[in-house]
Amino acid sequence: MLDTHTREVLTGVIDDARHKGIQASLLLHRERSHLLRIGNSSVSLNTSESLTRLKARVVDGRREATHTYLGELGTDDARETLEAAVAKVREAPERDFEPILEHVDETVIQEDQYDPALAELDGTSKAAGYARIMREIGPSVTYSGAWSSGATETYLLSTASEAEAYHRCTDQQFSVVLKHPAAEWELRTDDTGWRVLDFSAERSIAEIRRLLPVYESRDGIKIEPGQYTVLFGAQALAEILGMALWTGLYGRMYEEKQGWTAHHKEGDRVFGANISITDDPEDANTFRYGFDLGGMRRGRYPLLEHGRIAGFMYDIETAAKYKRPLTGHTTQTMSVVMDGGDGAADPLAAVADRARVLWIPALHYMNVPSRAKGLFTGSSRFSAVVVERGRIVAPLFSSRVTESFENVFNNLSVLSREQISVNLSDTYGQRAPVAWSVPSYAVADGIHITDTADSF
Amino acid sequence: MCDTGRIHQEIEEGISRVMDQGASYADVRFHPEDVSESLVMYDGNLENNETLQQSGLGVRVLWGGAWGFAASSDLCRIGECFARSLANARTAASLVALPLDMGRMSPHRSAFASPVEIDPFSVPVGERVGLLRRMDEQISEDWIQRRIVAAATQKKTVQFWNSEGTFVEKKLTNVFGTIMIMAADKDGQMQRRSHDLYTRGSGTRGWEMIADDELFGGHAQRVKRELADLLPAEALDHGRRSVILLPGQAWLQVHETIGHPLELDRILGYELSYAGGSLVTPNDIGTLRYGSEKLNVSSFGGIANSPGSFGFDDDGTPERDYMLIDKGILVNVLSSRAMVNEVNEVAGRQVVRESGGAARASSFYRAPLERMTNVNIVPGDDGTLEDIVASTEDGIIVDTPTSWSIGSNREHFHFGCEIAWEVKNGRRTRVLRNPTYQGHTVEFYNSLDAVGDASTWRVHQVENCGKGEPNQIMQLGHGVPVIRFQNVESGEKE
Repeated sequence: MLDTHTREVLTGVIDDARHKGIQASLLLHRERSHLLRIGNSSVSLNTSESLTRLKARVVDGRREATHTYLGELGTDDARETLEAAVAKVREAPERDFEPILEHVDETVIQEDQYDPALAELDGTSKAAGYARIMREIGPSVTYSGAWSSGATETYLLSTASEAEAYHRCTDQQFSVVLKHPAAEWELRTDDTGWRVLDFSAERSIAEIRRLLPVYESRDGIKIEPGQYTVLFGAQALAEILGMALWTGLYGRMYEEKQGWTAHHKEGDRVFGANISITDDPEDANTFRYGFDLGGMRRGRYPLLEHGRIAGFMYDIETAAKYKRPLTGHTTQTMSVVMDGGDGAADPLAAVADRARVLWIPALHYMNVPSRAKGLFTGSSRFSAVVVERGRIVAPLFSSRVTESFENVFNNLSVLSREQISVNLSDTYGQRAPVAWSVPSYAVADGIHITDTADSF
Repeated sequence: MCDTGRIHQEIEEGISRVMDQGASYADVRFHPEDVSESLVMYDGNLENNETLQQSGLGVRVLWGGAWGFAASSDLCRIGECFARSLANARTAASLVALPLDMGRMSPHRSAFASPVEIDPFSVPVGERVGLLRRMDEQISEDWIQRRIVAAATQKKTVQFWNSEGTFVEKKLTNVFGTIMIMAADKDGQMQRRSHDLYTRGSGTRGWEMIADDELFGGHAQRVKRELADLLPAEALDHGRRSVILLPGQAWLQVHETIGHPLELDRILGYELSYAGGSLVTPNDIGTLRYGSEKLNVSSFGGIANSPGSFGFDDDGTPERDYMLIDKGILVNVLSSRAMVNEVNEVAGRQVVRESGGAARASSFYRAPLERMTNVNIVPGDDGTLEDIVASTEDGIIVDTPTSWSIGSNREHFHFGCEIAWEVKNGRRTRVLRNPTYQGHTVEFYNSLDAVGDASTWRVHQVENCGKGEPNQIMQLGHGVPVIRFQNVESGEKE
């Protein structure tokens, strides 16, 4: 649970607000983050950040305002943060709809993904981890990577209820990238999880050793633009899925007819019958948040069932504007789970009968040229290879995929039976751990490669 | 709250202490005031009414050729922050192939303040919202389905100390503005048209910019007219043709395919695990033909009213004005002090003489890294937009990004735009929707065959350039004229 002093400060401020008839919420975000970055086989950055943010939101009839304070947090600071939001709301114009005030449904204290050992993990252990990988693989390549870890606390109070919601977790994301100085290919492996033990140098070394011979012995291939069977790795699959959900199932996009589901409704089939996707905050492959920042208790929420739309996601603003029920999606930290299929655990076995397949583990810099058409584009990166009859034959030069979400998810002929946790966290502004659970690979037929480069 | 005098004293003592403990360099950035506000009027409702106020400090220590960094929002624990930064540097030094070196810079005591006529935070909130409301009324029509008017304002004071004796105080102010409208086209697909606040490079940098009709509000009628033209328009067919970029699109082209690949940390491989590398190698500096002879690109920190102007970077280096690409040849890159020595060692010759003043951190809690300042295409002598259109046989004019996707080494790219105008035999013929174009960076810039004159040059204000781990959002600028490229693949194959 949150330390007693901070809890008393914040409950005192919210109680005062309640007595004064102010409709307000307070959201505390506290992080202790650490990141060690490797570049050119050296530690290029070793950082520690200790940051506390307090966000006060005030609703007054049809007016709303927010003030966030990042700094040393004492009683006066907390009060002044709320007062700043109150002052702002007085000058705000009325909307034509009533904002929803955060309402903490029930007291939740969630600390089941907190590992004290990971919270204390420092740069010494991380540098040793990288040093071991470098020693085992050798000096013929240069090494890059980043290892981010941290502990995050989230605490939400509202004048709308007496309940309080507290979440404490740890998370880590490890990556190592190998680049050959002459051939210029890049290989990458990752680890993620909430426990210190979720990182394994052995696993990274084994993964690198699996691909290294191919890269060391074969030149890269530039393919011609055209349609190909593509074996998307878990990272690429999660990235495509993320864009598809944002542009298709996010309530604001849907209500405003901006996305590719504009002309569909709940129950319509948009993807193949083998596609089922759920937001499941109980799934152990994800970073689990039992409540959202609107205070709603989060539970299993089907998004797509056998290719049919099962539900759209509404945040507190969109629900207020379009008078829809809240769905627990006032959050950055969804727990998306895409169901797997019956494909072999080994992706190469799954494509043993295919003449040629492009194995694209990750897509770089994806974007959506047309939300209405659900058209996305992005280029292959890291460890992409050409596979023929189930054998890796050569590394693949950077190749651009430009395709529609519907084409991809209606043409997944094989889905792995193995689920992988993919870390989608970012640290823009504040630490926000996110992990989704997706099949370890998916084979998509008829994917358009629209451009190819002469390099990796 | 801790007292400012004590904070300054603790900072100076902390720097002395880590230097006594063996550090070769140390610096501190203290943000006593750092406020930003976002106001978003969405369909006439003030949906986003947010202020962020932050303060804290970041300590950077170079020890044994390696960086340690620590930051805290708790100003009562400054000593701990120094200790952690030093410990981080010592750990980092255990794994160093080529020790970093800050070179030498003479100590100086300096100050910089953005030129501001009206401090945006001195304007009452009601007045600021009132301006947005008036803008919203201007773009409100029955046939328009979505209306967005947004203003973002930032004001911060940054105090910088380093172990060389330099002290710099910067007072930075930024103002950003956007108008966007949307409506469904003849196929029921949502189209949009927008305008971002821009400048012509001279003038002040406060609230007066957004209140200036020429730069912002006066574009409402044009935006409405162009969206109306888009709704019945045909989609752009796939093919190869000339592509003319208006400044509203050219800034992002420059940003993604010149600015980012010329950041020295990317060139040296320090961003490989995240943002990516660069098509440029250290040996390319001074030799690579990046574009045609018409391509002249500068990095100029001194544009008066751009968020890419800040007086002194976060190494304490004064802002600089220098060429990155001269008549098509790559001659320099975006650099910070710690990278200069390394790039020259890797190249085996002096390819970078001094820091380009491009070390920037988004906040006190992030470490500086190579960022763009104002990366600009210098105006050319090919006349106005009309002159360039008149000399175009078969092409399109495009404006305003909707989508951007770039290869990891920035060697290839794909852009989507809000609008295109077809050009046939020297005349604009019709509007086209869903325009996209793609290409390969060096080949593309070598096809540059027309650069508009100074009358076409605009400074685009960039609010949200993302880079680095931990992630950092940076503000910067791009001064760009109208530019034309030949034989560009555009449109999507059906």
